[in-house]
Amino acid sequence: MSQSVYVAGVGVISAIGNNVTEHLSAFERGEAGMADITLLNTIHRHKLPVAEVKLTDEELIAITGPTTHNSRTALLSLVAAREALNDAAIPNLQELRTGFVSANSVGGMDKSEDFFVEFLADNSKGKLKNVFDHECGSMTEIVADQLGITDFMTTISTACSSSANAIFYAARLIKNNMLDVAVAGGVDALTKFTLNGFNTLMILDKEFCKPFDEHREGLNLGEGAGYVVLVSDKVAKTLTKPAYCKLSGYNNSNDAYHQTASSPEGTGSYMAMKGALAKSDLQPSDISYINLHGTGTQNNDSAEGTAVKRLFDPNYPPVSSTKSFTGHTLGASGGIEAVFSVLSIKHGLIYPNLRFKTRISDLPFEPETKYLKGQDIKHVMSNSFGFGGNCTSLIFSAV
Amino acid sequence: MATNKYISSTCTIAKNAVSKNGVTLFENPGADITAFQLSVYQHFHFNYPKFYKMDNLSKLGWLTAEILLKDDFERFNYEPEEIGVVLTNSNSSLDNDLKYLDTISDIPSPSVFVYTLPNIVIGEICIRNNFKGEHAFFIQEKFDPAFIAQQVNYLLDNDILETCICGWADVLGQDYKATLFLVEKKKNEQALLFSPGNMDSIFNTI
Repeated sequence: MSQSVYVAGVGVISAIGNNVTEHLSAFERGEAGMADITLLNTIHRHKLPVAEVKLTDEELIAITGPTTHNSRTALLSLVAAREALNDAAIPNLQELRTGFVSANSVGGMDKSEDFFVEFLADNSKGKLKNVFDHECGSMTEIVADQLGITDFMTTISTACSSSANAIFYAARLIKNNMLDVAVAGGVDALTKFTLNGFNTLMILDKEFCKPFDEHREGLNLGEGAGYVVLVSDKVAKTLTKPAYCKLSGYNNSNDAYHQTASSPEGTGSYMAMKGALAKSDLQPSDISYINLHGTGTQNNDSAEGTAVKRLFDPNYPPVSSTKSFTGHTLGASGGIEAVFSVLSIKHGLIYPNLRFKTRISDLPFEPETKYLKGQDIKHVMSNSFGFGGNCTSLIFSAV
Repeated sequence: MATNKYISSTCTIAKNAVSKNGVTLFENPGADITAFQLSVYQHFHFNYPKFYKMDNLSKLGWLTAEILLKDDFERFNYEPEEIGVVLTNSNSSLDNDLKYLDTISDIPSPSVFVYTLPNIVIGEICIRNNFKGEHAFFIQEKFDPAFIAQQVNYLLDNDILETCICGWADVLGQDYKATLFLVEKKKNEQALLFSPGNMDSIFNTI
């Protein structure tokens, strides 16, 4: 019988707050993080809204302290990972086997973009230091160094399901007795590369996104980082405050349908949710709340909705997409939404799905639009579906 | 445990010709890459409308895999998870990246953009055949059979896969070449030992 994996700490930064407390208060106020672009230097400024973390790189460095390489990706990661580790306050951490499993999809791309401005104008110019940490894995190494984690580190990059997969993988390392503690989740910073790429795919909404609405027109990109601290049974018993919850189920499935689109039937999402339920030994009716992937694109919401219908009909739990607050933070979204799922259990919260007006015509259910607190939340399902058909569902359960 | 593996079948598409297991099956001299790839598709009576949407690298890899597997592959001997793909080339997806760059000045094309990664060709082959095993795409200066053999042997020796399609698929402008090998643990009549030397001589025949 393999052991349980507990969540002992959480940390998050996104457009709606720089820490957990600020997020809880933004949810209660119903305040979205999207706005005109102010920090990213792009031709799309004033045309496309994004959900930026409202701190410049310099302000982030003031919080984190200088690192060896100041990619915005590493800075955001460090803020949230450190918050999670401090929150967990694990006694005798130095004596435990601790890992850092961090996901991202852009790496140090922001700095590479700075390099290419000068380099393309004159190929004897451009600071090579700016491309040295281009690679996704560099972000993890920089942050692990700052956190003092040396036992184990790895990077997962599977597009928008990246950090859900990082949490999934970290849980397996603990279950298999390879680690006692894992800081797991992910990060992504906004870059020209991602904004232009998603713009090319014609799936960016020029207004604030409307997840799961019949008249949704696409997603808003966001940035941020979210981490949970996972611990073994043994470590959970030593904690000075009770663990938040357990990570009870997880599954990754692929629909092998298209480079960037989900299959219309949502085959991958259906299999991921079903597999996670089986793993946690729960029935659909046991789920108290689903934090949807809910990007606001035609394709995702219709495929995910179809999959939810197939699995949950006719008894739907409350569902909502917190991307209506944070935008789609890509490789960070699974980590950020895992933190929201944990907080949902801890504080009995169901988050509102902002800007929802009209139910999708093919679906018999609609998202929750009100902020609800004091709910009895036992099991939360968190969905993260990535390009390439890479679909992951996690289930967090009250202890 | 390391045991012998065998090349059950090979297919090469290059220089306006298609050859399988050393026999030329089709030639269309003088045709440019677009016309040539279409003529291969039509000659073999393939019926897969998605072919028309693919970039040239995916078309090349897809056609080579179709012909490699046609008639010779007993797919029902394997579970989808037991079949993998390991490909290499030297120009990544540059052929399509440049075409995408051309579209940016007007309206960036989503349908061209989605092929701006080299490993999409593996996805196209896997979706077509419902292969679900491990896969990897490596970019290298030239065809490196020792490297490919090392990768594939690892996957087969550790029972991560039972069979693997591997080789080279490269396109840039009018230059193109693909050579794929079907590697299995069992020996059929025409099988050659799976070795860097045998791969090299097959690759260099055309």
